[in-house]
Amino acid sequence: MRRPPALVAALGISAALLAVLPIGYLLLRLVEGFDRAVAELLRFRTLELLGNTALLVVAVTLTALVLGFAQAWLTTRSNIRFAALFGVLAALPLAIPSYVIALGYVSLFPGFSGFFGSWLVLTFSTSPYVFLAVTAAMVRTDTAAEEVARTLGYGRWQVLLKITWPQVRPAATASMLLVALYTLSEFGAIAILRYDTFTRAIYNAYRGSFDRTSAASIAVVLLLITLLVIWFERKYRGNYQASSVALTKRLRVDLAGYKPLAIFGLSVASLLSLGLPLASLVVWSIQGVSSVDAGLLVDALLGSVKLAVLAGLVIGVFGTAIALWSVRYRNRLGQFVETISWATHAMPAIVVGLALVFFGANVTPWIYQTTAMLLIAYLILFLPNTLAAIGTPIAQVSRSLEDVSRSLGTPANKTLYRVVLPIAFPGIIAGIGLAALTVLKELPATLLLRPTETNTLATRLWSATGDLAYAQAAPYALLLVIIAGLPALALNAQARKALSEVRS
Amino acid sequence: MFKKVLSGALLVATAVGLAGCAVDESETSLTVYSGRSETLVQPLIDKFTEETGIEVEVRYAGSAELAAQILEEGQNSPADVFFSQDAGALGAVGKAGLLQTIPQDLLDLVGRSYSAADGSWVGVSGRVRVLNYNPEKVTDLPNSVFDLEDPIWKGRIAIAPTNASFQAFVTAMRVVHGDEETSRWLEAMAVNAVIYEENSAILEAVEQGLVDAGLINHYYWFAMEKEVGAGAMKSKLAQFAEGDVGNLINAAGVGLLSDSGAGKKFVEFLLSPESQEYFASETSEYPLIAGVPVGAGLSPLGEIPAPKIDLSDLDSLEQTLALIRAAGLI
Repeated sequence: MRRPPALVAALGISAALLAVLPIGYLLLRLVEGFDRAVAELLRFRTLELLGNTALLVVAVTLTALVLGFAQAWLTTRSNIRFAALFGVLAALPLAIPSYVIALGYVSLFPGFSGFFGSWLVLTFSTSPYVFLAVTAAMVRTDTAAEEVARTLGYGRWQVLLKITWPQVRPAATASMLLVALYTLSEFGAIAILRYDTFTRAIYNAYRGSFDRTSAASIAVVLLLITLLVIWFERKYRGNYQASSVALTKRLRVDLAGYKPLAIFGLSVASLLSLGLPLASLVVWSIQGVSSVDAGLLVDALLGSVKLAVLAGLVIGVFGTAIALWSVRYRNRLGQFVETISWATHAMPAIVVGLALVFFGANVTPWIYQTTAMLLIAYLILFLPNTLAAIGTPIAQVSRSLEDVSRSLGTPANKTLYRVVLPIAFPGIIAGIGLAALTVLKELPATLLLRPTETNTLATRLWSATGDLAYAQAAPYALLLVIIAGLPALALNAQARKALSEVRS
Repeated sequence: MFKKVLSGALLVATAVGLAGCAVDESETSLTVYSGRSETLVQPLIDKFTEETGIEVEVRYAGSAELAAQILEEGQNSPADVFFSQDAGALGAVGKAGLLQTIPQDLLDLVGRSYSAADGSWVGVSGRVRVLNYNPEKVTDLPNSVFDLEDPIWKGRIAIAPTNASFQAFVTAMRVVHGDEETSRWLEAMAVNAVIYEENSAILEAVEQGLVDAGLINHYYWFAMEKEVGAGAMKSKLAQFAEGDVGNLINAAGVGLLSDSGAGKKFVEFLLSPESQEYFASETSEYPLIAGVPVGAGLSPLGEIPAPKIDLSDLDSLEQTLALIRAAGLI
């Protein structure tokens, strides 16, 4: 197996070392009070939390898959009208933080809570991940095999399951992993909707009792579950398939009489995931008497954009390196680096935040409470988002192109920079966009690690809702959704780009 | 190859390190970690800077998050002052030995029962636990918080067991009535109560008619009244009978993390009549120094039918949590 270039390996190893920090911190806290940690884990409550968490993760992952896959298939493979519009609508919920969706529902339906509420809200917040990944994969795969299968007498469902699914499976399972880990680590929406999971228990241990040992013990269980989920995904991912075929005119399945049903389904999904939270944001803005200071709003906007852009670039660079390593130079160390990066993704942001507070204040005080520290936290938390987005385009760069380049005497490294990266570049940009968008919405780690007196739209939104000043919160939330909507739109455009190229 | 990797990793590490060096911290400034909100605190800070010329950097976050942050930072905390929403967070930081003793003349300004016994923190403003209720659904007000054990309250009373002020109240119940009675009450709550995350969520639920009543701090009601306008509130507030533990008075307070003169000046400023008046009028909290009138619609602190209890006796949070957990509430 070929060795990765030194820079790729260095970036990968640095990222893995950073990702190990929170795990080391947890073990430190665990060892401090081992007896109490064991007692905490042996409570019946732990089992209850395990049941709750597992139920939610499985439910959300499955419904997000069904919804995201259906949206992707209908908007790229069927002949419904307004396919492009429905594509945009399917991607946009990505821009709304899940706690804002939850608040929207709760403010319109006061009794909305518990498992069902959490399931619904998290399905809406996470299905765009599946939608985008599957769309990108569907657009790039060849439909010829499907046509052949049809002529051989396969039914529509058989084609979908036996031909289409295997082609998009790697992208779909990677996005499902993202969904599962998102659900594992979600706090805001879960707290608003009052459903008990491991992550909520971890927050409560810190916030209610400053009990770092029991928080750490629950977090370690969460980490083990995460590793299990990752192992599961590895097992079922299948191999990325490089398509060497030029993009051809696509076969679009004629839905005939089912068209109205499809349009209705897509409309309802968008109404519930996008329309309703946005409507309630507008209602908030109108209600109440408090007003917003325009200076603070601009200040927060600039703070958010600056952090999102910087973090996007940093995460993009590291993400590209790790994706290259694990996809094109597959070796054990590369796989380990990728697994470690994923493992910390399900860790609640407060754990990563506190680990860096501990490390920063006591080991590297010169970067503590600086933007650099915050960027490190974002890197640890959101590297996997980018990996999921970058993995597919890098894998799909045809090996034969590389072989040609090398046979012409170009050194391997140069081939990488001149051939592989430029081809995968749009995908890398998409990965950066996804990371930036997630950073815009992030709250707990930002609160803990931001430079003192730096504010973002998310921190302003947080302080306004804490004051019960919904009218004041609404403009921050709206602006956040609009700003985060830009990368979301770009991601969607990117995913569908090949589609429009062929059609025009 | 390995050398190359190593030097590459070092390069990355140095780049990250250099990025950090660009920011320098001014030695003259006072750093405050505030668990109280910016809208409330910042006007006071600006006034303080105007009066003393001391530049103040404030970090706003939740009290509990800040306490956790200070505990992790340990001796290296950049904070000089911790201004906390509740006594429990200050107690946790004090227990870790991270708080300096407040000068005696400042401690003397505030009643003994509203500060730490060892002088590690001092109360700044008071708040009272109340019963928030919907007058259409609750006509017969309970005499004692223990009356809520009655099955007639099943599904009608809201509590926030993860909230610090609720936990302080349960600790007070343990101190006054003992663990056994407290456990019984908590178990009854596990049957009767509807669980919320925060006081504000309870208040909204009562306002919207989702639950009939809830246990909250008094000032949330006044804050919402300010937001929706006078006379627009559907719910009301009530106290239990004289001396009932359900009427506990709690305090927001401040602790010093460093031995800075500026920090002491800031505490002195918070305990000045003008700041105390500010809390009373802005948040409807109770001023804790003598001679400052309470806000509109409130009776003086001395007339609250509160239990006789010192806040510094409420430091046994761990046992309280054990009981709350045993009852299955968190």
